[in-house]
Amino acid sequence: MDMVISNLQQQRAVTEQLRREAAIRRMPVSQAVSDIVKYISDHMQDDCLLVGFSSQRINPFREKSPCTVL
Amino acid sequence: MTSEVSGPSVDTVESLMKEAETLKIKLEEERQKLNDVTLASVAERLEIINYMNIKPRRTLKGHQAKVLCSDWSPDKRHIVSSSQDGKMIIWDAYTTNKEHAVTMPTTWVMACAYAPSGNLVACGGLDNKVTVYPLSLDEDVTLRKKTVGTHTSYMSCCIFPNSDQQILTGSGDSTCALWDVESGQLLQSFHGHSADVMTIDLAPSETGNTFVSGSCDKLVLIWDMRSGHCVQSFEGHESDVNSVKFHPSGDAVATGSDDSTCRLFDLRADKEVATYSKESIIFGVNSVDFSVSGRLLFSGYNDYTVNVWDTLKCVRVCLLYGHENRVSCLQVSPDGTALSTGSWDSTLRVWA
Repeated sequence: MDMVISNLQQQRAVTEQLRREAAIRRMPVSQAVSDIVKYISDHMQDDCLLVGFSSQRINPFREKSPCTVL
Repeated sequence: MTSEVSGPSVDTVESLMKEAETLKIKLEEERQKLNDVTLASVAERLEIINYMNIKPRRTLKGHQAKVLCSDWSPDKRHIVSSSQDGKMIIWDAYTTNKEHAVTMPTTWVMACAYAPSGNLVACGGLDNKVTVYPLSLDEDVTLRKKTVGTHTSYMSCCIFPNSDQQILTGSGDSTCALWDVESGQLLQSFHGHSADVMTIDLAPSETGNTFVSGSCDKLVLIWDMRSGHCVQSFEGHESDVNSVKFHPSGDAVATGSDDSTCRLFDLRADKEVATYSKESIIFGVNSVDFSVSGRLLFSGYNDYTVNVWDTLKCVRVCLLYGHENRVSCLQVSPDGTALSTGSWDSTLRVWA
């Protein structure tokens, strides 16, 4: 009997989860994707790993120059 | 709502199963209905990435065995790493000096994380525990260590959600848990995965209460931290999901899996929108992270390489060679100027 109840509870949880997921609002892929493209375009200029450093001097991990300014 | 369709209020296992099947079909139909374009087709008009100048800049040597996890400090300079050798090391990545080396009462320290203040780190692994260490240069950090939470299996991942007061963990016991650091109280537990949780990540918003988890059950789940409910689930991977990371926009998550693919799942379209794979890539992915704009996805593989993907055009931009064994972890620094990688070759490297 316990087994039956636990099966029922388990299946109820699975179904309730699917009900919640089925009820969420979705947007078309085209809109979702264009928002991602826009976010990236807006932030690309600050992305040092993508566009590099305007000068190597501002790269905190640059190779130390063999000459130092006295 | 659909429950009313299934008739009388007395549920039976059969009626619930039938409803579940109907819901699954409906879900898939709804997702397909909105599947009007592909990401790569939208990205066609964008310029290709032709400038890539990422070089190895530092090598951090000190672990005696596999590096399993690492995390950047919010100061963008220090890194915490943990290893199979049972040690947690705090590095100054600028100078490559070790500032602290802590020996844990376990091997396989699979997870470590900096708190947002930068004054506290958490770690754990095969000991099933998450332990926090306040960092101080004046005294032995082990003197003030504190065990916050205990799982019933290994702890695979941990992260501080927006404050030093709470910590979120994932475990081989297939659950995630939110703990109060001060009292050690379990604030919320998250049940939904049917196998080991390997990875978690927080939504980028500071007020966000959403996190994502990836598991050996091949699923990626999105959670509401307050209610403890799973709010979305993503299928698609054909093997263990080893790494998940929120896109900086907060609207999508990237994943890396033993099936040798990385994927992008969009939360608002509620579906997978891209797969990053090549026929020549046959090894599993252990770790993924985005560049600050989200255009690049770095992924660490079992074939010792780091692949860099253009997330929009869905093509590989370049490969980073250097490690002499599996790349187990990687992370872009908080300001996006550097990439850290950790490997089974026992070293960490910094690329910029």
